[in-house]
Amino acid sequence: MFDSPNLESKIVEIYNLHYLDVYRFLIYFMGNQNDAEDLTQEVFIRVLKSLPKFNSNYPLKTWILSIAKHVAIDHYRKRRFTALFKEGFFKQLSSSDKKPDEEFEITETKRLIHGAIATLKPDFRAVVILRGINEFSVSETAAVLQCSMAKVKVDYHRALKILKKKLNIEIEGALTNAK
Amino acid sequence: MRSEQELMDELKEMYPQYPSKEFKSSTEKLLRMKARDLEKKRKIIRFTTIISSGVFVSIFIFCLLILEREGINHTFGQSAQTLSKPLVYIYHTHNRESYFPELDAQKEKMTAVSETKNVTLVGKRLSKALNDMQINAIHDNTDIFGVLEKYNKHYPEAYTFSGYYLKKALEENESIQMVFDIHRDSSSRSDSTIEINGKSYAKIQFIVSEISIHYEQNKQFAVQLHEQLEQRYPGLSRGVIEKGERTANTYNQDIHENSLLLNIGGVENSLEETYRTADILAEVINDTLKKSK
Repeated sequence: MFDSPNLESKIVEIYNLHYLDVYRFLIYFMGNQNDAEDLTQEVFIRVLKSLPKFNSNYPLKTWILSIAKHVAIDHYRKRRFTALFKEGFFKQLSSSDKKPDEEFEITETKRLIHGAIATLKPDFRAVVILRGINEFSVSETAAVLQCSMAKVKVDYHRALKILKKKLNIEIEGALTNAK
Repeated sequence: MRSEQELMDELKEMYPQYPSKEFKSSTEKLLRMKARDLEKKRKIIRFTTIISSGVFVSIFIFCLLILEREGINHTFGQSAQTLSKPLVYIYHTHNRESYFPELDAQKEKMTAVSETKNVTLVGKRLSKALNDMQINAIHDNTDIFGVLEKYNKHYPEAYTFSGYYLKKALEENESIQMVFDIHRDSSSRSDSTIEINGKSYAKIQFIVSEISIHYEQNKQFAVQLHEQLEQRYPGLSRGVIEKGERTANTYNQDIHENSLLLNIGGVENSLEETYRTADILAEVINDTLKKSK
């Protein structure tokens, strides 16, 4: 009755529909499950608070992900990403069925790739995650990031270039060291 | 160097694709809690804005409604030519409020809202029970929710719309002595159900607005019904709840002295359980009408 179950059931419905999108965006942004979960929660609390003001003409999914982007960037500003990366990243690689040799290889590659993403500036990182990993369309990505489609394309292109360059150098470097 | 696709595939595999199970449920719980808190705060704000803008908004809506009157599905229940003048008016401001056990569709189950299987059926049952006792009851089954959607209005304005129909019905039928707006609440099954003689019944709750100009009479009426229920079926009534400053509006209780908002059952009750309660409520209404003669 009244309006409370309305807002309550609405947010629960929205949460159930979109938590995976948000979580999968944040996990790549943050680099570990704990932080991704914490921030996912934070995102939906913000969604809840702004829901009464939400203009329903705007697609819900992109609106929620733009909030996720803000939350991620706010968090990034509070804590330097590298510190975060060191703390969280190794924790989560601890368990695996792989043999020690294989494991080393995988973790080493992962570490390199994540390291490369982590050094991208947040805007580029968001584009790479949304376009490349979450497979959003150019227009959806533009809506989330609140920029033009042209900027999305250019940023994505540049970010990939940087990423590839970094990985080439670093992987080569790692291999020479290994030999 | 690897292709873009390879790179992305590699990136995807880096992290768990799902959050932990505990996270999922605990976050849902947290959101529910916060939503309730927020709703309380919003009601205070809404109260002040509604008072100030209410007059303008209602004039506007009423103009719209008069123009669009033809297109709205507004049928009265039992036509009761043989009965005396109508004494009871039953309507539903939140007409799509529904009950989990009655719903199949997943989406409906999440929100306990249904276009067809909803609280309107409880009102229909009550009016039928009254008509069976030779009490003429009007059941208004207007799809207020649909009207809101049609005019792109927000949920809190539902009372303005249902109040419009109520006023109109009262103008046309001066004989109406009691007005009931039937809802269901969101309480859990243990709070909303009682066993009487081996059968389960949905509990009933009376809501009185403290800001209604008829507050005293509304309350007296609610207490009277509650006490009669207590005498006949102890525990079936959850009592009279007064909504004060935090209420969004008067729940149309300023329109009629004997106008009440009723919650029949919670989300976890079945329609059958609410029907049993509706039948008992009809008996009590019958008693009350007899006494007032």
